[in-house]
Formats: sequence, C-alpha cells, structure tokens
Amino acid sequence: MIAQVYFGLFALVAVLCGATLVFARHPLNGAMALVGAMVSLSGIYALIQSPFLATLQVLVYAGAIMMLVVFVIMVLNTAKDSKTPGIDLVGILMSVVAFAFGLVFTGVLARTPVEARADSPRGTVQAIADTLFPVHGQSAWPLLFLAVGLVLLTAIVGAVLLSKRRLESPISVEDHA
Amino acid sequence: MTDLLTLPFLVTCAKFGLAFIPLMLLPFLIWGERKGASLIQDRIGPNRAAIPLMGGLRMFGFIHNMSDGIKLFFKESFVPAHAHKFWYFLAPMIPIIIAMLAPSVIPWFAPMTVQGPSGWVSISGQNLDADAGVLVLFALSGLSVYGVVLGSWASNSKYALLGGMRASAMMVSYEVSMGLSAAGIFLLAGSFGLTQIVEWQGSNPFLWGWALQPVGFVLFLVSLFAETGRPPFDVAEGESEIVAGYFVEYSAVRFALYYMGEYAHIVIASALVSTLFLGGYQVPFLPTETIRANLGVVGGGVLALLGLGVGAISLKIRRWARIYTTLKASDAADRAREYGFLATVSSVKAVVLLVSALAVGFLVRTTPAEVAGDLVHWPLWVNAATALVQLGVLLVKTAIICWVFIWVRWTLPRFRYDQIMSLGWKVMLNVALVNLLITALVAKLLVGGR
Repeated sequence: MIAQVYFGLFALVAVLCGATLVFARHPLNGAMALVGAMVSLSGIYALIQSPFLATLQVLVYAGAIMMLVVFVIMVLNTAKDSKTPGIDLVGILMSVVAFAFGLVFTGVLARTPVEARADSPRGTVQAIADTLFPVHGQSAWPLLFLAVGLVLLTAIVGAVLLSKRRLESPISVEDHA
Repeated sequence: MTDLLTLPFLVTCAKFGLAFIPLMLLPFLIWGERKGASLIQDRIGPNRAAIPLMGGLRMFGFIHNMSDGIKLFFKESFVPAHAHKFWYFLAPMIPIIIAMLAPSVIPWFAPMTVQGPSGWVSISGQNLDADAGVLVLFALSGLSVYGVVLGSWASNSKYALLGGMRASAMMVSYEVSMGLSAAGIFLLAGSFGLTQIVEWQGSNPFLWGWALQPVGFVLFLVSLFAETGRPPFDVAEGESEIVAGYFVEYSAVRFALYYMGEYAHIVIASALVSTLFLGGYQVPFLPTETIRANLGVVGGGVLALLGLGVGAISLKIRRWARIYTTLKASDAADRAREYGFLATVSSVKAVVLLVSALAVGFLVRTTPAEVAGDLVHWPLWVNAATALVQLGVLLVKTAIICWVFIWVRWTLPRFRYDQIMSLGWKVMLNVALVNLLITALVAKLLVGGR
C-alpha cells in the first residue's frame, strides 16, 4: 500500500518534471527538470528492490552527466536562449513523437508477461555482480562489459582529439590575443 | 496499528535522531576552527562575545556562535535585482538537505538485535541499510554540487559565476579520485556497505583501513579537502581574486545556510574517513560482543576517562584564572569570577563522572537475554549503552579528522587553480589507479579472491 503511494508520488514528479523539460523556456530550468525526473526515477528503482541501480542513477546521471549539461548551459550565452518561446512547432512535433513513442513502448510492455515479482530483490550489488561476472559457468557478460568500456574509452579519446584541434602547434598567448 | 508500535519499530524511529548529528556538531566545529586558527597563528582568538550574566559569561569564545546566529537571522535578506529568483531561493537549501540526508548511510554503532513480536530483529547502526552503502553518499555528494552551481548562476554576477565554475569543476574532478582511492577498501572488504566495511576492519587498530590502504587513506583525505572546498583547495572562494566565490551575492540567513552546509559537509566527510579507514564505531581492542558482555567495566572505564578529562579541563581553567588575575586587565575580576564558576562546574562534573564510573564499574553486570547457538541476544538497554559507547568513539575519531581539516586549513597556502587541476588529474588519479591495481593483485594472490 505505502509502496504504491510512493510510486504515485515519484511517478507524478517524474511526469511533471518531464513536461517541464519539454515546455521550459529557459534551458537551465529544463536541465534541472531533467535532474528531478532522474531522481524520481531512481526512487522508483529503489521501490522495486534495486538499490544499486537507484544509486547509480543518481550518481552517474543526475550527479555527473546532468552536472556537465548544466555546466555547458551556464558557460554558453543564455541571453538569447531565455527568449525561446515555450511552445513552438518543434516542441509540439517532438511532444507528439514522444507521446507516440511512449504509447508504442507502453503497448509492448503491457503485452509482455512479467515474471519477476516487484518485491523480489534484483538490482542489488550482489545480484548485478553475479550476473556481470559469474564465478562459475560460462557467460558473455564480462566480455560485453569490457567491450562497452572500450567503446566509452574510444569516445573519450575522440572527444579529447576533437577539442584539441591543433595538437602540433604549441599553445601561445598570441593565439588568444 | 498496535503491531506498528513494536520495539524494533520504535528503535528504528529513534535512529532518525542520528540525522541531526552533523548539525549538532556545527557549533563545536566552528568554535574549533576559530580557536584552532588562533592556536596556530599564536593569538588568543575570539573571546569577546558574552552572555550578560555574572559579569559576562564568555565560555572561551563559544558564545560567538550564538551572536553569529543572531546576526545572520536578523539581518536583511537582500536579493540582488537581477537574480533568477526561483533558483536563488532554492540553491542554498540543497547543501543543507544533503547534510541532513548524508548521515543516514554512516553506521554510528554496531548492528543490534531487538526482540519483536515475531522473534529477534536485527537493526543496523545506519538509517539506510542499503548494500549500495557508500555509493549513496557519493551520489548525494554529487548532488550537493548543484547547490553551488545553481547559487552561483542564479546570483547573475560574474564573480559568483566564476566561483561556481571553479567549485563545480573541482568537485567533479576530485570525485573521480575520491571514488578510486576508496575502491581499494571496497575490494578488500568485499562490500560497499559501510557496516560490513567496519565489521571487516575489526577492533584491532593495526588492521584498520589506514594500515591496509595507507596510500588510499592519504588520497581519500586529500580528495575530501577538495570535495569540501577547504583550503588549500578553496579557489572557489579565492577572496583575493574573485571576492568570495559562489556565495558572494548571498547575505543573512541564506549565506548562513551555505555556511552550515559547508561545515556539515566537513563533519560528514570526517565521519566517512573514520568509517572507511579508522575502524568506524569499533572501539580499539574491544569487539562489540566483549563490550556487551563486560558493559560494567567498559562503561566504567569510559566514564572514568571522561571524568579525568573534565577534571583536567577544570585544572586548566583554574590555571588560566590564576594567570588572568596577575594581568592588569580591567575585567580581571569578572574573568576570575567566570573562570572560577566554570572550573567549579567542571570539578563537580568530574567528581560526578568518577563516582558514577565506580558505581557502573562495580554494579553493572550484563546477562544475555537469549542464546541461540552462535547468536547471543542482549537486552535493549545493554545494546543501547553499547551503541552509546560506540557512537562516542566514532565522534572522537570524527573530531580528530575535523581537527586535521582545521590544521591543514591554517597551515597550507592556497593552490593556484591550474595546480589543483593538474594535481587532481595528473597525480592523484594515476596514483589511485596504480594503488587499486596493486591492491587487486595482492588481494587476488594472497587471499585468492572469489
């Protein structure tokens, strides 16, 4: 009973934050709404017995990634952005697309038989570690995990290369003057 | 409703009081900071603010906290005209919310068993007993950056924005080395849960985290200096360059919220270091079960130590009073009266503590409520008293680390911003990675691992 009340609260906050993200006039308000949506999502994860997933959601998405987004918004000149109309053609189109996507997604989810019980622990540290790195028996997960790590590393190296366009030329004060 | 009001439920509710520990320690920390600064800089420090009783009770500068509070609460809460109102009002609340939430994952005492209507229930010393444990704390610390960033941005001031940028860049950078330097401990303990980590460290001080992970300990402490924005990493406030950093546009009680959040962060960081590397709630050489079985002796010993400490303070105050009367100060009579009063109070306290130490030591005997195989269940009062002893020990460890924070602040000069960044990314991150690699290899080779 109390879990359903909490679920309702988290879901309401997540949906409200999502709507704010779409209709916010200022990008920073949108970004902070997304942070709110992520934190409420992590609350829902915690409700379905996945504390590790909930923590990582806050740690990685709300704490690190959205931090960078907010950082970028702060650095950019936001004087122009704050004049963006709340509802324009792109916004309406994207809302329709998002709504249609949500409908399809919900439809597929509703047809899928769910075997796991909501109150059986699944997203704990132990469960995820046993799945990713099984001690006994064969599993493709460790390899996949390493592959994902390599992909991320490649992305980071690429980002560093892109941001340092002139690697061969020494950075001099005259360049900036 | 009646089965809600069981003993385990009530104990769990009582544990929520633990959330206030950092906030309750704030006055002591701020007082310690001021007096520590004066000690290191060889001056007397704050001692003017007084309660107008008996010719002025100064309590060695402790009253300055009160006058600070009164000043900050009754000042005009000025809002700059160009501030973004919503975020300007919201931002200072974030650090204080985090400061109330963060202590929930720190185990303040050993897990205890409490008799419920359907058998014995285990209750751990933390409010949030998730197996993600310390990661929750890291996540909350990541969220607390928003207080800085939003406050600086909403002030709509260039100095504030520069301070906020510096603070957030520094916090985000040092979070990486903070996590990696603590990873060695997680690897050895085999858990993220802080109770499990403390239980793994045991009660031998030479097998605690600092001895097994010395490099990790130093790196973690340095990362926490940066995380809390303390000198030598306080470029975010850099008053010589950018006035006061991210809270330059904040005044009165909103400034006080930032200030309290910052100091609460220090308390929580110190408690975390104590938990990860200094054995947490473990009393040196006294495992939890030993304390419970010999509660009279241990409790008597603790009370006797406290009594001796208070007695020493009383003697020290008497000595100061003697020095003061030889000075030709205009308020020598007032001070002599105050010091005499404080010394008498401390002496009485010391005598009471010593007598109660004798009483507890000779009279208190504990017997288990129930023995079920290896598990020994103790009555609630035994568990509560043990928890109190362990809480006190953890607070002493926290106070020591807090003193290290103060000591470092008043000893080292401020780094330059680029020095901080290169230290974080080029030195500490690499050392932490190598430390983790060596720990993993040694743990795998020696212990075998799983």
